[in-house]
Amino acid sequence: MAEAALAGIGLVRTFDEGAGIRGVDIDVQPGEVHALVGLNGAGKSTLMRLLLGMLRPEAGTVTLAGHELAAAPSAIWATVGHLVEYPLAYSELTARANLELGARLHGVAPRAIAAMVESIMGELNLASYAGRRAGRLSLGNRQRLGLASALQHDPRLIVLDEPTNALDPSGVILLRESLRRRADAGAAIFVSSHHLDEVARIAHRITVLNAGRVIGSLDPGGADLERAFFDLVHADDLVNAADLVRAAEQVVAR
Amino acid sequence: MRAALATEAMKFLRARVPVVTTIMLTLGIAVLCAAMLGALGSGDPQLVAKLGALADPGGWVGFVLAASQISAIAGLLGFGVALSWLFGREFADGTVTGLFALPVGRGTIAAAKLVVYVVWSLIVAVVLSFAVVMIGLIAGLGSVPAEAVPLLGRLVAVTLLTALLAVPAAVAATLGRGLLAGIGAIIGVVIASQVAVFSGIGAWFPFAAPGMWATGAPVSAVQLALVGPVAAAAAALVVFAWRRLQLDR
Repeated sequence: MAEAALAGIGLVRTFDEGAGIRGVDIDVQPGEVHALVGLNGAGKSTLMRLLLGMLRPEAGTVTLAGHELAAAPSAIWATVGHLVEYPLAYSELTARANLELGARLHGVAPRAIAAMVESIMGELNLASYAGRRAGRLSLGNRQRLGLASALQHDPRLIVLDEPTNALDPSGVILLRESLRRRADAGAAIFVSSHHLDEVARIAHRITVLNAGRVIGSLDPGGADLERAFFDLVHADDLVNAADLVRAAEQVVAR
Repeated sequence: MRAALATEAMKFLRARVPVVTTIMLTLGIAVLCAAMLGALGSGDPQLVAKLGALADPGGWVGFVLAASQISAIAGLLGFGVALSWLFGREFADGTVTGLFALPVGRGTIAAAKLVVYVVWSLIVAVVLSFAVVMIGLIAGLGSVPAEAVPLLGRLVAVTLLTALLAVPAAVAATLGRGLLAGIGAIIGVVIASQVAVFSGIGAWFPFAAPGMWATGAPVSAVQLALVGPVAAAAAALVVFAWRRLQLDR
């Protein structure tokens, strides 16, 4: 197997209220779309934050194209595009200016920016909003803008947290095609989603996260993805409940 | 650093908060001085007693001294608000997530924010002195006498020192993950400065020293120079905090 574009090994990061990630191994390979699915609170966003250095793990390591995250050179970071929770869209700037800003931050040479911005606006159907301030865009178009900023510099690694949030059906299709093209061109893509149907259309691999742990995978070509997903989650919940009862009994016995 | 500077300058130049703050810190202060000058003309002895330098020595010297005093106090609030916005808005708007996983480090982005802020402060300080001269001329103070010219230089210096003293607001906005923490911190600093002045240790309290100097009170160069380490420490802290930033709240 080729070197993973992104890999997390033994990742642990928990929070006081009990949520978090508890020993996750995960990787994203070049040329594949790897989807992460799970219920609300399963730890998807926490895992993505750990993989992108927004959180430091209590245990475990993250590598980016073979480099430990903290030591990854800026040339490698320039090949990453991400959208986690909020789009990089400043309300006072126009859509075009936001994309120019995103391109600068991703290390794109100033002379190459204008053509790049035009290209991504065409690709995600944003051209008619180019001169509109981001603060005046609808939620869906702000999301499109954030996706455009994450994708415009043709990153080799793309990490998107719930990318279809607020997108209309045409936006979902545009994004799907855009990600497929990029994966076919060799990009490694890691997406989290609630939408099993959408994930089935695009992913090569589907990993299921529950209560901060990877509990299995789903076959994107499987017949009843929803049922398979809930079977995995319910089985894991039963195991977790049994563990809780056992722990409570031990406390009482003492 | 160039990319961080370019993007921070772009955001700063196109946002409303810096525009409003610039107007408040320049025209606002100058117009406030002119309004006080108008109040002086009413001849009310109680009011005149409260107007300090505007009444005595009065004229251009009093006008510029009054502007310096207001700049030292209102400036701390105004510059603090600007810094709180500059750093806190990334958390309030959620854009901070987009400032991770980039070839530009977060420490560099924080440093670029501070550079943009210092350049802007310099412009504000110079524009304020011009605004004070213009408003003074309009208010009928006549031509600027030679003895008022050094005081205009002092006004620029006091404004700049005040801008530097507001840097802890950036630290508070970062640690508090939003604008309100920064604004709260700078209000706390203003209150502490007033307490320091009333308790007699003001000149040795860096946050109060420029304001005292603005009134013409005896403040040594060493006491004023303490502003430097305070601002440098706050700047180093905010860059460090951004470099080590985690989105854990």
